[in-house]
Amino acid sequence: MTAGDEAAAVISLRGLCKSYEEGGRRRTILEEVDLDVAPGELVALLGRSGSGKSTLLNLVGGMDRPDRGSIVAAGRDLVRLDEAALATYRRERVGFVFQFFNLIPTLTVLENVRLKAELVGLPVAEQNERARALLAEVGLEDREGAWPDRLSGGEQQRVAIAAALVHDPEIVLADEPTGNLDLDTGRRVMELLDRLCRARGKCLLLATHSAEVMGVADRVLGIEHGRLVPREAEP
Amino acid sequence: MRYGLLLRRNLFRRRLRSLLTLGGLACAVALFATVESLNDGLEKALGGDQARRTLVVYRKNRYCPQTSHLPEYYAREISRLDGVSSVLPVKLFLNNCRTSLDMITFQGTPVETMLKQRRIELVSGDLARFEREPDAALVGRGFAARRGITVGENFRFSNVNVKVVGIFRAAESTEEEIILTHLEYLQRAGPVNRLGTVTQFDVLVDDPDRAGAVATAIDELFADSEEPTDTRPKIAFLESATRDLREILRFGRIFGLSCALVALALMGGTVVMGVQERYREFGAFRTIGYKARHIAGLVLGEAFLLAVLGAATGLGLATLLVAFGGIAVGVEGVQVAFSLTPMLFGKGLAMALICAGLAAAVPAWRAARIDVVQALRTI
Ligand SMILES: Nc1ncnc2c1ncn2[C@@H]1O[C@H](COP(=O)(O)OP(=O)(O)OP(=O)(O)O)[C@@H](O)[C@H]1O
Ligand SMILES: [Mg+2]
Repeated sequence: MTAGDEAAAVISLRGLCKSYEEGGRRRTILEEVDLDVAPGELVALLGRSGSGKSTLLNLVGGMDRPDRGSIVAAGRDLVRLDEAALATYRRERVGFVFQFFNLIPTLTVLENVRLKAELVGLPVAEQNERARALLAEVGLEDREGAWPDRLSGGEQQRVAIAAALVHDPEIVLADEPTGNLDLDTGRRVMELLDRLCRARGKCLLLATHSAEVMGVADRVLGIEHGRLVPREAEP
Repeated sequence: MRYGLLLRRNLFRRRLRSLLTLGGLACAVALFATVESLNDGLEKALGGDQARRTLVVYRKNRYCPQTSHLPEYYAREISRLDGVSSVLPVKLFLNNCRTSLDMITFQGTPVETMLKQRRIELVSGDLARFEREPDAALVGRGFAARRGITVGENFRFSNVNVKVVGIFRAAESTEEEIILTHLEYLQRAGPVNRLGTVTQFDVLVDDPDRAGAVATAIDELFADSEEPTDTRPKIAFLESATRDLREILRFGRIFGLSCALVALALMGGTVVMGVQERYREFGAFRTIGYKARHIAGLVLGEAFLLAVLGAATGLGLATLLVAFGGIAVGVEGVQVAFSLTPMLFGKGLAMALICAGLAAAVPAWRAARIDVVQALRTI
């Protein structure tokens, strides 16, 4: 990767280390991780359970702090930000998609999608316009008044994808977005996520167990002993 | 950030639990307000300034107002004493002389003296008609309101059957609970004709500081007669009549405060449970950029909303009970009305809000401090 790539990167990790104290022993999860993700790029993290995929996403998402190293994302040096500034970063710059959807149960589908547009202070008319357009794109325009717990898993995940994009963030983080869905549904959700992010030039960092992403991702990285290793194809 | 919506929706989502908590809180507030309103009523009853200038003369060793019979002519002799301003003979007729929630008190007096000595003022009706008609009666507005009595109707109890010709307001709250009739009417009304005897004399003294001396003079005057007297300042009489009530009320207030504790525990349970089951939801809120104080706000806001709703319901219940339950606590012919003041409404609301604040403070603090990563891990 050249210096020019680095400057253009939306996510840039250098010498990132993270470990946990457990029973008096330090367990290193990430060790000296370097990574650059460019705008519009889809990077998949593939690795067995417990390898540290979620840990890495949480660090980039500003929900967790590293032991050492630097995280520059959407032009911000996350290590230097305080809690309030991190909250603002999460609100304005990042969209999240999780394995368990994490929709707000007391808000309708439309309200869930609109929520972040509201949080960043867009005018109400625009909130609704964007939310409805995204719902149409994920094929749920006729379900906007439904409660999340009335939707199927695949539908909930489509709502979550719409919600993650409504405020036009630079970064989308997806932690096993298909992990709770059957194979077929998972594949379609994956395609949808890929299509929407690419169309908007978002950089998408994705953690997954499943190898289906191989065909879609621009780059696939594995985590082995705390380090990122490129993977070309699953054996 | 649409707090109102989130709070309402969440209360509604757990409607059974919300309703149970709200109901418990409402009961606690209602009980608290009712006990306190009786206490306020009692303070009002004992706080009238007229009571300090008035002596009440009873038959010595009477068992109950009904058993006190004094010769009416005592009035003239008392009024000749030094320091006495005026004397009002009163014939009392009660439905019950022990403590009761449903007391009816008739007082028969010579009309002219009564109007001079008591500070009453008609709010409706016709005073001239009262003076004219021997079976006419004026009803205190507290009693009238509780019983729904209006001018023009007849009020009947036992052998007494009077025409209500006026409703009056009085300077003393206890006087608004009685029915005033002509003296002679009440003397004749009982099963035995009691013409010439009265139950008590209300003696107005010139100088409140000399009330004690006048009382002694009165009792000395009749010490050797057939019907000896027992004279006490009206305030002392009110105090002794309400002594048991005050004792019970002291206990009742402890009870009322225990209600606050129960409400606190109830709120605490609801809030803690709510926070526990919303752990992941709070994680999701934090992830999308809600700050710690927003989460605390959600928890506190919900508790305060419940408190306001519970207090409103409870105060509504108390109002219904006091205004339409038609009860007042009566002892020995003295009736103490429940007095629900705006101040008391404030106290009830404050009690609920304080409970909510205390119950939700720690859970809110803990919810605000959740570890986002950990919260997202929980399923
Ligand atoms: N708070 C913590 N305390 C101790 N260990 C932790 C903590 N959080 C995570 N770990 C450990 O870090 C390791 C990496 O966890 P992580 O959740 O990142 O794995 P993952 O690759 O996302 O796994 P999966 O695919 O199962 O989601 C795990 O072994 C986990 O037990
Ligand atoms: Mg994980």
